[in-house]
Amino acid sequence: MIARFFLGVGLCALMLVSSFGTYMYLGGRHSKVASPAEKPTAVSPRATAFRLPGTIYLAQSGAIYSLSVGRFHQLTPQEGWMQPSVYPDGNYILAVKRNDFYSDVYALGRFGQVVRQWTNNAGRLNDTTSQHWSFYPRLSADENTLWMSYDEPKFGYDALFSIWAMPLGGSIRQARLWTNSNDYTGGDIGPIPLATGGIMYTKYSYGPDGNRIGQIWLTTRPAAQGIEGRPLTSPEEDCMEPSISPDGKLVAMICTYEKQISQLTLATWNGSSLGPRSAVITDQLVAQPAWAPDGSGIAYLAPGSANGPFQLWFLPKERYAPPPPSPTPVPTPTPGGPYNGTLPSPTPAPPVTPPVIKPIQITANSGFDATSPISWAG
Amino acid sequence: MAGSLAYFLPSAKLAWDATGQVVSIPSPTAAPSPTDPSSPSPTALAQPKDAFTVLLLGSDDDDKFYADHVLTQSMILVRVIPSTHSVIMLSIPRDLYVPLSTGGTGKIDGAYSYGGAGAAIATVQNDFGVHVNDYIWIGLLGLIKLIDAIGGIDVVTSNPVVDDLYPQDIFSNNPYGYSRVAVLPGPQHLDGIHAMQYVRSRHGDLESDIGRSKRQQQVLIAIRQKAKQVSPGDVPSIAAALGGEIKTNIGLDRVAALIPLAASFDNPDAITSLTMSSPLIHGGCPGGSLCPNWSAILALVRQYFP
Repeated sequence: MIARFFLGVGLCALMLVSSFGTYMYLGGRHSKVASPAEKPTAVSPRATAFRLPGTIYLAQSGAIYSLSVGRFHQLTPQEGWMQPSVYPDGNYILAVKRNDFYSDVYALGRFGQVVRQWTNNAGRLNDTTSQHWSFYPRLSADENTLWMSYDEPKFGYDALFSIWAMPLGGSIRQARLWTNSNDYTGGDIGPIPLATGGIMYTKYSYGPDGNRIGQIWLTTRPAAQGIEGRPLTSPEEDCMEPSISPDGKLVAMICTYEKQISQLTLATWNGSSLGPRSAVITDQLVAQPAWAPDGSGIAYLAPGSANGPFQLWFLPKERYAPPPPSPTPVPTPTPGGPYNGTLPSPTPAPPVTPPVIKPIQITANSGFDATSPISWAG
Repeated sequence: MAGSLAYFLPSAKLAWDATGQVVSIPSPTAAPSPTDPSSPSPTALAQPKDAFTVLLLGSDDDDKFYADHVLTQSMILVRVIPSTHSVIMLSIPRDLYVPLSTGGTGKIDGAYSYGGAGAAIATVQNDFGVHVNDYIWIGLLGLIKLIDAIGGIDVVTSNPVVDDLYPQDIFSNNPYGYSRVAVLPGPQHLDGIHAMQYVRSRHGDLESDIGRSKRQQQVLIAIRQKAKQVSPGDVPSIAAALGGEIKTNIGLDRVAALIPLAASFDNPDAITSLTMSSPLIHGGCPGGSLCPNWSAILALVRQYFP
């Protein structure tokens, strides 16, 4: 009788253990699709395996991070910060702070402390049409002009971005409108001030097939002075997010060909037009290319695996600018004077297949904001 | 066994509540439909190797509406052809002025409001001559929760989506208020809220509802891509997230058969996205609705939904 009692208890215990074990096992079979992104500073092991030169600034979940000497540092709290851009002199960082209704441009110290607010877009409470967005801030080389995308003029439902140039420290009333955005397209974004005085930016419009497309544009004078510049890319290429190399001779950009793909595309740049295109990455959803200040490669954002949060990647220069082939060896003179006999036919050198340079994944579990350009300082 | 039961209990409850919905199809009204009126109701397929058509319905289901009397802001006919691993999506403009299966004429988005899924299906079947095998209805919150439950989606947003008069009817005490939206362009990872903003905003779009339909199709494709990574272990959390925000007539047995089928659709070029714009439709119908050019519409539908 006692033996049967203990057998029953044992079986009950076994049943409980196996049920619990099954429950835990199934719980452990979760895929990682819904795992939240980790803060870059929490990456373990730290991203020391491959060190990028200089300091990279980028945004994740409303905070700005820097990456230097293989380590991430969180510069701001997670309070809507994005789109960092280092001042030309390297002493401060321009950044956008956005909330649900408006966004403003600030100057931050190199350690993330707020130094000054450059725009005031709050508008009136409960009047959404009086509130404004400022995005993609950049400073001119002399640090006197703040370039940005700003949603003015807007007409009722037709809210869209235009490119504005505002005296740094001035107000929006002192700013000059530089582009004439196309109605109901979203407008013009991402100004890059050029040494020649103009700007390169992305303009959205309706393409010949009726779809919305992006084009890289160049303009050298404010819109009020006449016809706005001209496109540098075709509607079919559907390009955006241009970035000019440190030597000013190449432009990296994202082209999507009106599909749910993106290709990292390079083109030569002579200051007024883009040369032949070269797609250097076609198998990733690439965003926000940024050139290394020393010209050693291009950083960009792309998912670490298919359909995941965006990680930081680096494409070494050797991928898109392979070294020139080795010179043909010159035969060394044979000691002993000239030889008049038949020369042996030279053995052809075996063809050398250059190694394929692959992009290097810098982070694995982060979730960087792919709408926030990367800023890379020397 | 007990552990499995406990683990899958939430999804089983959702499955019981949401799937296998019995739809009542009103008698078809006179319509330019080649559909056999003797069998207008959705039918289960014997094998998923046969081509089938699903009607996707998306609704604002916030406090402005009575439960189950909502408009379908999004109506997308999806034809799945397993033999060629191809998919065809056709967005139906919500403002299309059509004969309704419940009687009379009106905007097609009202069909669901007047008679539920059955009326919406019958209206589409009668007017477009398409046999609908299945339907899936999802509410605003359901889409947000679904996308969050699968960890967000990767989308190339085609342009900045800026809207100063975006409805503030989710997570708000005032469903008639306005919010501001600025979805920035380019490749990015969208969570549920921002994906919703991207597919729902229409004020800054010259094509209005048609432009929005194109964005909805982009997001649908992204959801399908991401869903391929979901494992059975994720089902309970997804089920818990979706509670009450999704309805379908598809039974659990069909769901089980369709999951591997969905995973086998890998070629993005095998997905055809169609919208109805001029000359298929034109303005000028009552109440700001869109007038259908039936001969052009039916020619398109017969081509892709034989």
